[in-house]
Amino acid sequence: MNLWRLEWVRLVRSKRLVALIGVYVFFGLLGPVTARYMGDILERFGGDVVVQFPDPVPADGIAQFTSNANQIGLLIAVVVAAGALVIDAIPEMSIFLRTRVDRIDRLLVPRLVVSFAAVAAAFIVGMLGAWYETVVLLGSLPVADLLLGTLLSLVYMAFVVALVAALGSRLASVLGTVATTVVVLLVLPIFGLVDVVGRWLPSHLLGALDGLLRGTKGVSEYVPATLVTLALTAALVWLATRWAAQREL
Amino acid sequence: MIRVRSLTKRYGEHAALDGVDLTVAEGAVYGLVGPNGAGKTTLLSILAGLRRPTAGSVEIDAAVEERAVLPDAPRFDKWLTAREVVALAADLGDVTDETRIQTVLEDAGLAEAADRAVGGFSRGMLQRLGIAATLVTSPRLVMLDEPAAALDPAGRREVLDVVERMRSTSTVLFSSHILGDVQAVCDWVGILDRGKLLFEGPVAELLGNASSRVYLVRVRADVQTVADRLRSNEWVRSVETPAERLLRVDVTTLDAAEQHLVPALAEIGVPVVSVEPEQVSLEQVFLELTR
Repeated sequence: MNLWRLEWVRLVRSKRLVALIGVYVFFGLLGPVTARYMGDILERFGGDVVVQFPDPVPADGIAQFTSNANQIGLLIAVVVAAGALVIDAIPEMSIFLRTRVDRIDRLLVPRLVVSFAAVAAAFIVGMLGAWYETVVLLGSLPVADLLLGTLLSLVYMAFVVALVAALGSRLASVLGTVATTVVVLLVLPIFGLVDVVGRWLPSHLLGALDGLLRGTKGVSEYVPATLVTLALTAALVWLATRWAAQREL
Repeated sequence: MIRVRSLTKRYGEHAALDGVDLTVAEGAVYGLVGPNGAGKTTLLSILAGLRRPTAGSVEIDAAVEERAVLPDAPRFDKWLTAREVVALAADLGDVTDETRIQTVLEDAGLAEAADRAVGGFSRGMLQRLGIAATLVTSPRLVMLDEPAAALDPAGRREVLDVVERMRSTSTVLFSSHILGDVQAVCDWVGILDRGKLLFEGPVAELLGNASSRVYLVRVRADVQTVADRLRSNEWVRSVETPAERLLRVDVTTLDAAEQHLVPALAEIGVPVVSVEPEQVSLEQVFLELTR
């Protein structure tokens, strides 16, 4: 048993990995179906109300997936990450580990890497499901744009995991960390409503898959947000380490 | 092994530790005693690197991997097995010998529960698991915070036996408010109260200094008459009669008692069963010091 395996065991035995992947796979499979049949569903249950839907395109299948993945999926991801990254949530457990390492990053790095890997794996598996169903139900997708959009989504998720780590080190409470992270993630897009600012914010990457797949945005559109997100992620990891090292038990 | 000088820890206006000087020699079993809130856990936390002092210095002659700390109520991820907890501690201490893990689990009485998830463990089992995880790396310095506080008598005895066994291989610093435990296993003691170290030294010295002035005299006669006669001596401070045939004679000095007590009893002509200095417990000394 070592600190890396500990994180893997935490994910598997606590069923967090199953929950995480399950949520993303569910939305991955549901998204394209919803996009394909939304018009029919509303027509059947809409009564006298007539709703005109344009014919769905392949990008709609992925958009349905990302819309759910970026809300409920991300919330589950935050909860799972906080469960691992709030090192001092239970001081007696923390003492066991803290007094056995000379540097706090020995504890934090495996938790950061494994948490991100789990979140990324869940997103990718969900995306593969969404891609497959989209191709079957709605038609093919531009592979390069899909991969690039997925990569940019993963950059955003790395930022979210780093944010959880920093807040977890500061607050030492799982509930407080989850709540504060959610508030930060909700507030960021509000700043993004200001167009000049929006292109630089991490939340801009949430729309990357849709913009690239529909061809309404080019790669250059997401370069500023990517650079800022990577810089913020690095800064948050540094803060997480610093705050955890400073904390007294 | 440990040298603490002028150690102070403040939380706002409150001084949890106030200029503590403490020395733990290599190989010692050092008992840090004090009432709840005395500052024991704060002191151990600073020594363990979990808190920073407001002022003062701490020198520890053991690398991080040579130390082990056991909190008063150890807890572990509930989905780990006991063997995995000890294996993790071994890995963090760079111990690669698999048989060592099994050995410490057996020593802690957890061999049969080794592959069970710790989520179902009792408080006593968690304490023993904490000790197994502490010992697996054969640390040079072991710091135990109230290791037996919440255990039943049998569990406490087991923990004290483990501490006793550590004597030959490790320096042990353990805090407790159960003075009998400290008296049973420690050779050095530090008495901490309201953030100040009131005494530090060998347990025998502490008890020896305090055990001198009271003698217990058992007689086969009316104790009141004997008590009245003894009270008339200038070297007698007081005489109590706690039982029918027992006198408790408080004398001015040990020398006076050794010189005059037995002749005085002979002069009274009372049949004497025994004369012995009262054994003072650590608890009595502690209460005296912290009063």
